[in-house]
Amino acid sequence: MIKGLLKKDLYNLASYKTTLIVIVLFCGIAIIGTDALYWGSTVIGIIVGMISLSTFSYDEISKSNKYILTLPVTRKEIVLEKYILAIGATILGGLLGFIVTLLVGNVMNYLRPDDFIDVNIETLLSTSIGGMFGISLIQSIQIPSIFKWGAEKGRIQMFIVLFVLVIIGAIAGFLLKQAGLSVDIEKLESILNNFGLVALILLSCLMYFISYKISYKIYKNKEE
Amino acid sequence: MNNIEIKNVSKKYDGFLLDKISFDVPSGAIVGLIGENGAGKTTTIKSILNIIKSDGTVKIFNKDVKQNEKEIKQDLGVVLDDSFLSTYLTPKYINSVMKDFYKNWDEEKYNDLLKQFGLPDNKLIKDFSSGMKMKLKIATAISHNPKLLILDEPTSGLDPVVRNEILDIFRKYIEEDETRSILLSSHITTDLEHISDYIIFIDKGKIVLNVPTDELLENYGIIKCSKEEFSKISEDDYISYKRSKYQYEVLTSDKSKIKKKYNIRAIDKPTIEEIMLFYIKGER
Repeated sequence: MIKGLLKKDLYNLASYKTTLIVIVLFCGIAIIGTDALYWGSTVIGIIVGMISLSTFSYDEISKSNKYILTLPVTRKEIVLEKYILAIGATILGGLLGFIVTLLVGNVMNYLRPDDFIDVNIETLLSTSIGGMFGISLIQSIQIPSIFKWGAEKGRIQMFIVLFVLVIIGAIAGFLLKQAGLSVDIEKLESILNNFGLVALILLSCLMYFISYKISYKIYKNKEE
Repeated sequence: MNNIEIKNVSKKYDGFLLDKISFDVPSGAIVGLIGENGAGKTTTIKSILNIIKSDGTVKIFNKDVKQNEKEIKQDLGVVLDDSFLSTYLTPKYINSVMKDFYKNWDEEKYNDLLKQFGLPDNKLIKDFSSGMKMKLKIATAISHNPKLLILDEPTSGLDPVVRNEILDIFRKYIEEDETRSILLSSHITTDLEHISDYIIFIDKGKIVLNVPTDELLENYGIIKCSKEEFSKISEDDYISYKRSKYQYEVLTSDKSKIKKKYNIRAIDKPTIEEIMLFYIKGER
């Protein structure tokens, strides 16, 4: 049943294929000859990941949510499918960003050996995973808001939630400072360098899991 | 044997109450749900399909719908007036998606229906006319040979030719297997006169009438009489009446009794729409 839902969303997204090619080409060209080479992978990753969320808008425009509930599929499967699609898009975006940046960088080095761009695989990997983490954070916040408020309203609500999170972070930082507690930046950096990528991946998994639980709780009682 | 049994189903919204609705849909029967817009037809259908949470019990194929939802829905075909899988797909994609949902999806039947209805399989649904969209929804709903069809306003907004074609599809669907049933809601009551075996009339969230269609059309009658003649008719012998400047129109559910009792000869055969109007607008 999830396969059917996935197919429906992928067919809907098929109309995006031209846009996707244009984005990848645009980012590819933008990468050429810039110092900001690594940003290419992050940007591609985030855009591809975000596209998966537009399936909610397709559902809303077609008013298909009500119809889907008449099919032999559970609400749990409906929610799970959206996460499979979102995670799939995040992984695809990360891979695509990594490959395109690597290719463009090396091709340019071959064509323009005088203006050599240093393509460091490790840094590229970090920026790609960083992009994937960014999009997983956005998706984890946005998917429950869309389930709660719908695709259009959910987007506005998401910015409010992000704004509130930033404020909370700022207040927490301020209070820590006031309390005389300081964070050992060096220690934090060394932890990040050693375990950063693994930690980011684990954190993404945790965010998706919590987000899925919240979404299911919302959708379980939602009436279309 | 009933394909649907609903008992005391209630749902409360702001300013609306679906009030302890109970009725059955027997196998082999087409049951028409009629009523004004906002009377509770769609809320009833949504409750049956468990799209909304309501009180009471709904049994489909003798199983509780809340506990056996997925299993039941394998044998259910649904057409909703305002909702479908996606308008950004083509009928060809619909086939590809639906075969993953239904174990009994009959690809050949679906393609035959597309041909029969003259639907192109490569055109986006959003570019279809209303009639084409409805035909596609129906083709999709019956291509897994469901035991039960639930249709919400399947003929609204369509021209008479398309409406007739669609009603023919429903007749054929029932004729193919007499254990099947259809529950359809419509405010176009003439369609139901031709096709339904039972009529359930919902008004302001309550069932006011649940009778076999033949009985409704054969036994109900409208008496046109003067004020003086009207005053002789006992209140127990009519359902409601309408007053105009020169005459009274009276709705009765037993016209042969009235004929004998009051020696009235001219009793008109009402349409379902007229009966509905007497219930809604008539005085008592």
